[in-house]
Amino acid sequence: MSDHDAVEANASHSHASETHGPITRVGEMPEPGNHEHSSHGPGQHSHGGVGKYLLVFVALCFLTTMSFLTFTSYWPWRNEPHVGWAFMMAVSCTKAMLVVLFFMHVFWEANWKYVLTIPAAMMAIFLALMLVPDIGLRNRMVSQERALYMARPSDVRLMEQAGESQLLTNPTTH
Amino acid sequence: MTNMSTMNASAISMPQHQSHDHHGHGPVLQYQPGLPLTRGKLIMWLFLSTEIMFFAALLGAYVVLRFGASVWPKPHHVHLSEPIGAFNTFVLICSSVTIVLALEMARANKTTAAKLWMVATLLLGSLFLGVKGYEYAAKFEHGIYPWSPRSRVFEKPDLYYGSAVRARLGEPAMIDRLKELDDTPESQLTPDVVSARRRLAKVRQMVANPDQQPFDLAVVADQVMPLPVEHATAVSHDATETTVGGHGGGHTSGLNDTFPWLKLPAVIPGGTMWASTYFLLTGFHAVHVMVGLIVFTILLFYKLGPKRAGMIENAGLYWHFVDLVWIFLFPLLYLF
Repeated sequence: MSDHDAVEANASHSHASETHGPITRVGEMPEPGNHEHSSHGPGQHSHGGVGKYLLVFVALCFLTTMSFLTFTSYWPWRNEPHVGWAFMMAVSCTKAMLVVLFFMHVFWEANWKYVLTIPAAMMAIFLALMLVPDIGLRNRMVSQERALYMARPSDVRLMEQAGESQLLTNPTTH
Repeated sequence: MTNMSTMNASAISMPQHQSHDHHGHGPVLQYQPGLPLTRGKLIMWLFLSTEIMFFAALLGAYVVLRFGASVWPKPHHVHLSEPIGAFNTFVLICSSVTIVLALEMARANKTTAAKLWMVATLLLGSLFLGVKGYEYAAKFEHGIYPWSPRSRVFEKPDLYYGSAVRARLGEPAMIDRLKELDDTPESQLTPDVVSARRRLAKVRQMVANPDQQPFDLAVVADQVMPLPVEHATAVSHDATETTVGGHGGGHTSGLNDTFPWLKLPAVIPGGTMWASTYFLLTGFHAVHVMVGLIVFTILLFYKLGPKRAGMIENAGLYWHFVDLVWIFLFPLLYLF
């Protein structure tokens, strides 16, 4: 695909110089030689190849195991869920960075990557934050009627007590 | 990019061209450097930046709904299996590696190897969807649907729940089945079923009793589908292993499990909102996976050499993004 573009560009380029005279080049010009280079980002053939991807793969598997660890009994902070949440989000962000930087080649891209990713990320954060006042805090103050029909922690406790009561499982009780 | 630069240059050159025409030499052209990437890749990245916002809206809505809710079900309450989720994460990570390898092979002009890695990606993506389908089926089996008429999930064991159980037990087909069960001699049933039948009889009495207490309905709900109790305080390894491995978490299995035809309404506090968000998030993600699989299938018809490297790269960028979304979905849905 890129080769095709290069040929096409080269053709129109020479055509233009014939009809319009000399060309002043400002900044980087796509020469047929370095076009391949610039279109795939600098260092396309120099970033280590398959070995680097396998290293990232091992790191991703390790990190997935780490976040799975919070679910097993070896996780020491089972009584404090916030520790686990913070840990898992840190692990997820690390995994996301690995995928974006190496699998999506962003690490080797030119500065255009910031133009596209940073505004989108900022929009994404604002998008979530703007939901907080109306949706996130919706249960701070509720009408009596709504409180009557919505599930509350007391309902969970009631069901747990019902389970522990063994009212129907024990045949001698009735 | 190069074509765009040419167009810019000719646009700039027009007035100069007219003024310098009679001198016999052309105007001085000034080229603007374009973005150092192909148009296909530029469009893919623009598309991905809109996708970032799309999934950020979904994930943000989930997080805000979840932490704003007064009650949110534990993963076990809604029959989520963490090992299955972790396995699916592993599958997607593997598929990300295979598509990257397909691209590397295509660039190195190893077309057969590229095609094989592409097939591997396609198979891994299909495996992911298959596991997802299996998980969805498990949810549907427990009456957890994202929409109201099919969903058998109730928020709390209140009078509405009691009347829904009564209505279900009063359906003509159900009356026949229950009569059949009552008439079966005890010798033909296993002890478990005999015990469940006795409990079911008691549940039928309880919901029919007009003087039922709130606690009675909690007992009914617990009998129909118990909420697995998490032994948060007991960090003993044996206790957690039974919670992890056992379906009911060391609890008696519910009447809906013993009699699959019963399909009684069940109580999962916070379960209706959970179902809405779970199916919305995983559903949109699954749609993205499907689109990726279609793209890979189309790519298999081409000779995957350096000429197609741009196409593979763009498909790969999309696929890595799908992987990226799952990296956040897995802990948020399965482990939080």
